[in-house]
Amino acid sequence: MELSLLFQTLITGLAIGGIYSLMAVGYSLVFSILNFSNFAYGGVIMLASFAGYYAMTLLGANVFVALIISMAAMAVVSLATERVAYSPLRKRNAPPMFFMISAMGLSIFIENLVYATIGAHFYAYPIIFEETTINIFGAALGKMDLFAIVFSIIAIAIMNYFINKTRTGIAIRAASYDSTVATLNGVNLSVVIGLVFVIAGAFAGISGMFLGIKYMAYPNMGWITNKAYIAAVIGGLGSLPGAIYGGVILGIVEAFVSVYITSTYRDVFSFAILIIILLIRPAGLFGKYLEEKV
Amino acid sequence: MKKRYLSILLAGLMACSAFLSGCGAEEASDDGPIIIGHQSSTTGTGAKWGQAEVKAIDMYVEKLNAEGGINGRQVEVIHYDNKSDQAEAVNVCKRLISDGAIAMIGPSQSGNAIACSSICEEEQIPLITTTGTSELLTVPEGSDEALQYIFRVCFIDPYQGSVAATFAHDDLSCVKAAILTDVGSDYSTFLGKYFHDTFTELGGEVVAEESFRSEELEYKAQLAKIKELDPDVLYLPTTHTQGALAMKQARELGMDCVFIGCDNWPTEELFEIAGTAAEGAYIINSASLADPILADFVEEYREKYNEDPVMPNPAFAVDAIMLLEDAITEVGTDPTAIADWLENAKDVEVLTGVFTNDPATHNPIGKNAVIEQVNGTEFEYVTTVAASVSDAE
Repeated sequence: MELSLLFQTLITGLAIGGIYSLMAVGYSLVFSILNFSNFAYGGVIMLASFAGYYAMTLLGANVFVALIISMAAMAVVSLATERVAYSPLRKRNAPPMFFMISAMGLSIFIENLVYATIGAHFYAYPIIFEETTINIFGAALGKMDLFAIVFSIIAIAIMNYFINKTRTGIAIRAASYDSTVATLNGVNLSVVIGLVFVIAGAFAGISGMFLGIKYMAYPNMGWITNKAYIAAVIGGLGSLPGAIYGGVILGIVEAFVSVYITSTYRDVFSFAILIIILLIRPAGLFGKYLEEKV
Repeated sequence: MKKRYLSILLAGLMACSAFLSGCGAEEASDDGPIIIGHQSSTTGTGAKWGQAEVKAIDMYVEKLNAEGGINGRQVEVIHYDNKSDQAEAVNVCKRLISDGAIAMIGPSQSGNAIACSSICEEEQIPLITTTGTSELLTVPEGSDEALQYIFRVCFIDPYQGSVAATFAHDDLSCVKAAILTDVGSDYSTFLGKYFHDTFTELGGEVVAEESFRSEELEYKAQLAKIKELDPDVLYLPTTHTQGALAMKQARELGMDCVFIGCDNWPTEELFEIAGTAAEGAYIINSASLADPILADFVEEYREKYNEDPVMPNPAFAVDAIMLLEDAITEVGTDPTAIADWLENAKDVEVLTGVFTNDPATHNPIGKNAVIEQVNGTEFEYVTTVAASVSDAE
């Protein structure tokens, strides 16, 4: 009995941690190259949940097609946010603080735009899998959770290959180490930054839709990305493996504190643990450059 | 313009009637109408409910007047809109008093009603709120006795928790209960606390009390822990979205207990989000369209206005006007006499059942609550219960 609860808690933590990871990757990607925290990302994730919802309900798309539509749409939206809100600042060599404020403004803009156009309703996705769950050692694993974890791993693996093995990926990494030197070596910085936002947008497309399926789509769901941002900080902002581990760690810590310590004081305990981690490793678990932290 | 002219005239008549009753000529009938004030939000956030109150009161008073009014006098209810705003509620309250209202119905929102309560106390005009559920409305903070002129026809929030526990224990024969509350909401934690107290007093056992933070959407960790303790019933005094997600996640974990929710739940979004997980869940509500006791009222309302009354406000507005009708019939139009009558009201028949005022708190005693059950995408009326514990506080 006790063992099944332990296992169930682990599964619950992994399922939510996986989504934290996906979102944390989006934060870290942008941070790695522009050195600021893109708080508008939460708004893009929220839009993704609506994109997926409308793809499935209005267009009648199945879950894979809807995922692709959501990823493509958010890649465009994410690129647009860069071109509208950040590119002009970049051209004027504004300090990271200005980017962050611009991002906050954009985030409020997106949220209120949805309130004004779609409204404050909660939208539930159509049923994708029958509510049957898989039983593993007495613990219930939702099929959708399993699907989300597998799909996320595949997406992260593809991105990892792209960043590490392709020429464009190398250009992105070069720009993230030192954008000036990369530019001197013939890297088109504007294109590289655009590409980073496109990838981050596609990841928002995945995580937003999974959040929508798991819970529901509604205008202020962007708050959940605060957790993802914290996960990115634990892992070390700017570090992609850090973002992934940070998300999983946060998800599991939350679940275990809820079950084995207290659900009422869960956030008090889990965030105390995070503060301790940061005290021991100020740059996060995988962070390299302390001075880049916001 | 005409209305103002009329009200000045009426105020004059009121003065005469007060004079007459002062002379002990109570039964000496006065020809002018009896004025009752009613304020609600017919615009703003509570518009749906406010408009329904106006319609229900008009429907009732029309009938009452056709049958000869009260003690041979016609009744006129003056409706004003408080726009769901406290400052406006106070203005409207003062205006109603200067219009000559001898008693007041509404405001329906606790905050607005609290804002009006000091004026009504000072001017000695009885006020009956329709759905102002805050305990502090009738017994202000720091005081241990109820305000003389302020009354309510609805039950207070925590009472719902006691009703849920009574229903779970007595009607559903549940022995082990679990509670999941939102730690960021007073409403939720209070309901949980009263559920716990009543359920334990009745001899049941509360095996788990878990909570989550307001914005949280993931309750599986807490639910998995609850599942281990195998409760018969899970009480969810939450918003409808939280409740829907909790039920969905509980069923996904393979929990088979009964769910009981609260009066936040009855909206279609509950089914959309919870899907089939909501099937069979019980909801504690203050009034239900499907309650047989309201059948005649609902039918009449539908016939007259071509729409459903937006529950529970119109039913409570009628309760309030019925109480005033009885009070005036018995003690005349002196506001203080009406307040005294309301204070000692016992087993008075009103639309939603019988009304007994608790003189210590000015909360109704043994107020009925309605139990509804989810069936497909409908809320079906199940039964009407009163909490077995005399009163929550």
